[in-house]
Amino acid sequence: MTDQTNDAKQYDKETAIGGDAQVGETMIELRELTKRYPGEETPAVDRVSMEIPKGEIVVFVGPSGCGKTTTLKMINRIIEPTSGSIIIDGEDVTNIDPNHLRRRIGYVIQQIGLFPHITIEGNVGTVPRLLGWDKDRTNARIDELLDIVGLDPSVYRSRYPKELSGGQRQRVGVARALAADPPVLLMDEPFGAIDPITRTRLQNEFLRLQEELQKTIAFVTHDIDEAIKMGDRIAILKEQSHIAQFATPEEILTNPADEFVEDFVGTGATLKRLKLTRVRDIEVVDDALIGRLDEPREDLQKRLNESEWTAMLLLDKDNKPARWLRAPDFRHDRPAAELGLPARAMVEKQATLSDALEEMLVGSAGVAIVVDGRGAFEGILDVDSIITSIQTMRDADAEFYRAAKLIDPADEVA
Amino acid sequence: MAFLEYLSSPSVQRTILVQSLEHIRIVGYAMLFAIIIGLFLGIAAHRFPPFRGPILSVTSTFLTIPSLALFALMIPIVGIGDRGPIVALTLYALLAIVRNTVSGLFSVDNAVVESAAGMGMSKTMRLWRIELPNAWPVMLAGIRVSTLLTVGIAAIAALVGGSGLGQLIFSGIRRIGSPGALNALLGGTLAIVVLAMLFDLLYLAIGRLTIPRGIRD
Repeated sequence: MTDQTNDAKQYDKETAIGGDAQVGETMIELRELTKRYPGEETPAVDRVSMEIPKGEIVVFVGPSGCGKTTTLKMINRIIEPTSGSIIIDGEDVTNIDPNHLRRRIGYVIQQIGLFPHITIEGNVGTVPRLLGWDKDRTNARIDELLDIVGLDPSVYRSRYPKELSGGQRQRVGVARALAADPPVLLMDEPFGAIDPITRTRLQNEFLRLQEELQKTIAFVTHDIDEAIKMGDRIAILKEQSHIAQFATPEEILTNPADEFVEDFVGTGATLKRLKLTRVRDIEVVDDALIGRLDEPREDLQKRLNESEWTAMLLLDKDNKPARWLRAPDFRHDRPAAELGLPARAMVEKQATLSDALEEMLVGSAGVAIVVDGRGAFEGILDVDSIITSIQTMRDADAEFYRAAKLIDPADEVA
Repeated sequence: MAFLEYLSSPSVQRTILVQSLEHIRIVGYAMLFAIIIGLFLGIAAHRFPPFRGPILSVTSTFLTIPSLALFALMIPIVGIGDRGPIVALTLYALLAIVRNTVSGLFSVDNAVVESAAGMGMSKTMRLWRIELPNAWPVMLAGIRVSTLLTVGIAAIAALVGGSGLGQLIFSGIRRIGSPGALNALLGGTLAIVVLAMLFDLLYLAIGRLTIPRGIRD
C-alpha cells in the first residue's frame, strides 16, 4: 500500500472519531423530513435530518420497509413530504414547482423506466428538450453521453429500448439522468435488477464516471456490500428512516454505532473491507513483460527467454491485452495471435480488491490485468499484492484500536 | 348463378355503391364521436378511481339495450333519418373504446411514468407524450372492435328512416318469398361484410403507421 492511501485512511479514521467531521459544502439538506400516509398510525418516514456534502455519494441502506426509498423520493418530491423541508444548494425547494425542481435532479430507478416507444436518442434527450435546448446542442450532448456510458452513438442512437440488453438499458438510464448535467443525482437501487457480473462492471464504471463528474448523489440500496463499495458515506436506516449511523464505510465497519448496525453489516468484516480498497489504492506491477501481436514471433521468443518472467502479455493495436504467452507455447507453429492463452481477468482501477480476487480465481492465470476505461493495458495485479494489502489493513486496525484504548479522546492534543 | 347475374347489373351495383357510402358515413360519424367521448371517459376513468366503476358500467349497459329498441327510442329525441342511428351507434361503440383506453393506460409500466415524472414532465405532458402513445396499441384494438360492431349494427338504421346498406337488406326482408328478395338480402349482407373487411384493413394500416417500432410486437 502506498503512503498516500495510508494517509487517506488515517484521515478517514480521524474524521470519524471526531464525529463532527469537517466536510465540504452541503449540497442537499433534509430538515425533519416526514412522510405520513393518511390512515396510518406511524409515519413512514419520521423527522429525518441529514446533510449530504457536495460531490459525495451518500448511500441510504437498511432493511426493506425502513423508508429509505420514501426518503429518497421526497428529495425530488415524487413523494410529497408531509412536513419538514428540503434544501438543495442553499435553496429551499420544498414548495417550488416540482417539475422545475426535477429537471435539475437526475433520477435513476431500479426498473430504469426507459420510454419504450421512443429511441435511445429520444430518451436521452428528454430533459434537454424539456429545458428548451436547441437541436444541435441536444444532439451533441446525446452523442457525448452515449460515449461516456460506453455505447457507440452511431450504433445505439436510433435503437429502441427493447433492442438493448439489461446492462445497456441501465447505461442509457444513467445517460438520460445526466443529460442536462444536473448537480444532483438520485439513484434508487440502480443496479438491483442486473445480473451480478454486469452489476459489478456497471458499479465500477459508475465510480469511474463519478470521479470525473463529482456529482452529489443520494443512492438507495438494501445491499450493504453495495453500500460499502459505492458510498463515500453510508446512512444505515432503521424503521421510519431513523438514522442508526451516518458515517464513512470504514467507520461503519470498524466502529459500528450499535447492535443494529453490527447485525446489519454482518460478519466477514475483513472480506467486506476488500470491497473498500480499490485496485488503484495498491501497487500494481507496471513493468510486466509486454509484447505486441504484430511483432515477429522470433523477437517475442527472444525477449521472453532473455527476461526473468515466465510469461509475456501480448497487446493488440489498441493496447488491449490479447494473449498470455509462455516459453513452451513457441513450439507450436502458429501466428502469435493464436499462441498461448487468451488474456482474461481484466479489472479497472476503481474495481475493488474483492472484484479483482474474484476475477483472478475465475481467470486461472493467478493474476488480474489492470486496464483503463477503454480496455487498454495499465498493469498487472497478483495475489501477493492483495494479501499484503489485507495484512496492512489488519495491522492498521490493530494499531488504531490500541490507540483508541490508550488515549482518551478528550485528552488528545489537537 | 342468379346472384352473380344480380350483382352484375349496373343499377344494382350503383345502389350497393351509394348505400355503402351512406353506411360508411354513418359508421364514420358514430366512430368519430365515440372515439372523442370514449377517449375522454377512458382517461377520466383511469385517472379518477371513483368514476371508474360508474363509467364502465354505464357504457356496458348501453350494449345490453336491444339495438332495435334503442334505434326506435332515438326517433322521439332526434327525429327520423341518420341522426338517431349515429347517436345509438356512438353509444354502442363506447364500451370497447373506454375499456381499452382504461386497460391500455393501466398497461403502461409504472416505472416509465415515474421516470417521466422524475425528469420533470407535468401530468399533461406525461399523458400525451408517454402514457397515451404506450397505451395506443390497446386503444386502437378497442376502436377496431367497436368499428366492426357498428358496421354490422348500422344496418338497422334503415328501419328508422336512415340510410345505408340496411335499406337493401330490409327491402329483401319485406319481399321475402318473391323473386329477387334473397338476392337483395344477400347483396346487402355481402356488402356489409366487405365493408367490415375494408375497415379492418384500414386499421391494420393505421396501426402500421402510428404504432412506434419500439412497442410493436
